[in-house]
Amino acid sequence: MLALLDGIKSVFEALGRVHRLLPWLVAYLLLLPMPQVITLIFGEYYVDLANRACLFVLLSVGLNIVKGFCGQVTVGHIGLYAIGAVTSALLALNYELSFWISAPIAIVVTGLAGVIVGLPSVRLEGAYLALATLGLGESVRIMLAVTPELGSSNGIMLIPAPAIGDFIIESFNHYYYLVMTAALIGIYFSFVILRSSTGRAFQAIREDVIAASVSGINVPFYKLLAFVISALYAGLAGALFAHMPPGFLHHNNFTVIEMVTLLLMVVLGGIGNIWGGVVGAIVVTVIYDQTKDYYFYQPLIFGVTMVLLVVFMPRGIGGVIGQAIVRRKFIEKHEEQNLGAT
Amino acid sequence: MALLETRGLSKNFGGLQAISQVDLKVQQGTVHGLIGPNGSGKSTFFNLITGVYKPDPGSHIEFDGHDITPLPAHRIAGLGMARTFQLLRLFSEMTVLENVMVGNHCKTPYGVVESLLGTSRVRDSDRQMREEMLELLEFIGLARFADMPAGELSGGQRRLLALGRAIAMKPKLLLLDEPGAGLSPVNVDNLMETILALKERYKLTVVVVEHILKVVMNTCETISVLDHGQKIAEGPPEAIKNDHAVIEAYLGRELPDEEIRKAIRGGVTAS
Repeated sequence: MLALLDGIKSVFEALGRVHRLLPWLVAYLLLLPMPQVITLIFGEYYVDLANRACLFVLLSVGLNIVKGFCGQVTVGHIGLYAIGAVTSALLALNYELSFWISAPIAIVVTGLAGVIVGLPSVRLEGAYLALATLGLGESVRIMLAVTPELGSSNGIMLIPAPAIGDFIIESFNHYYYLVMTAALIGIYFSFVILRSSTGRAFQAIREDVIAASVSGINVPFYKLLAFVISALYAGLAGALFAHMPPGFLHHNNFTVIEMVTLLLMVVLGGIGNIWGGVVGAIVVTVIYDQTKDYYFYQPLIFGVTMVLLVVFMPRGIGGVIGQAIVRRKFIEKHEEQNLGAT
Repeated sequence: MALLETRGLSKNFGGLQAISQVDLKVQQGTVHGLIGPNGSGKSTFFNLITGVYKPDPGSHIEFDGHDITPLPAHRIAGLGMARTFQLLRLFSEMTVLENVMVGNHCKTPYGVVESLLGTSRVRDSDRQMREEMLELLEFIGLARFADMPAGELSGGQRRLLALGRAIAMKPKLLLLDEPGAGLSPVNVDNLMETILALKERYKLTVVVVEHILKVVMNTCETISVLDHGQKIAEGPPEAIKNDHAVIEAYLGRELPDEEIRKAIRGGVTAS
């Protein structure tokens, strides 16, 4: 299993040496026939599940930027997702804008909202920051729940599906191409960010705020930037969610429980680990869906799982696999040296 | 020419006068020592001039011709002031190379948006910076560990890395907070040699806080002594060695036998 992962990793690294975008292109091509494969093996319903998984991948990758890279605790991410979804939906319904215009506007609006969610981070840390962001996120949901124009208890219905010319993207299969592309681009950019000077500034802030500031990093600015970038991800995911067939959204999609689920994805995959976050998002989405019949116990189980993870596997799946690969390499190197000595 | 000058520098922590009315000049191109007993305000002094703490009103700090008193830490760093910490404060989960690259942050030639898009200019300049930083690591002897997380280095290597991170900022002034703390005498000598070599190579001015007096006496051209937040002496090492106020601050005042007996008796009756 480990050898397989290691093999895949080295193949993609080799591709990356030819051209840095080549591995991504190959991954994209490999992901293209997925809806057909999934329909064939599991059935059409699971394509819809894959679509939702892609949205959660976007959310979890975005959350990883603020939480994993920059170390800022936020429980308001789901509120940003809601803002993205509702903005795009209302623009499409009330002003008859096409998805291709309403979604970018929604992303920008969510980015601005990200500044507001991020502002407490300039002064607060840890649990206090969590509380402040929780308040902001939850107030978004409550606002949706009580304002008739924002859907209130009925939710927003009949949100038009995106269209290219006359072609309407409304089947699960077709929507898959949209969300999968968005998710892959999101993952790609999160790697770009991680490796940039901005990504290093984020990590420096996570590791030691004072050392970061005397190294010339404008700490408040970069904290806010991390929140804004993650908000852009949330906005994109939200817009894609709103227009996804059947074009219906309800404030129940944005509860604290959803937020905990989202956090579980990041923690399960490994905080700060991009691929971990992706795997976490897929695994949790599938488990969440398959245990729907016991929805009553879901929060309980997810909460307990979260606590157990934090205690026994603080670096998540990604951390465990990463460590195992390093150990394997170390042992191999050691054996080589021993062979060389004898 | 004075590279750094403080006038009337004061800091009060809720009633405790940590630093009071310190006037200090650091001349360009020198190694300036800052000594004093525990709690005399040496670290606070560093924190004040690097902008980690805000000085009290009435203080004035000038660095390289700029009034830096009101500036936040990152702006002061951008003007060319680098420091190390007593407790190092390395970015433990980042690699050794990334640590020094963070040090190089202010020298990044491209903007934030560009860095997020990963344009070809960004990649080129990053590649160049990476090579420069590897060269620096080579110089301080950590190039072998470039891809290792900083937290896995040994104590001495960590001290070197902290130094490297500060040097990566290409500073004009380097502030060292107890660079030799916790090192064996041999290692301390090596470290001081490295520091002097770096000073020559990068044309630095150095201010060093140190407890090991031998180190300070051997390497510094000027020494300032702090006690209870006040500057009690300043001058070349020989003068400091024989300064009465300094000896008193470190070893205590010499009392006549009569007074000592009285003090002891007083203590006994009180208990």
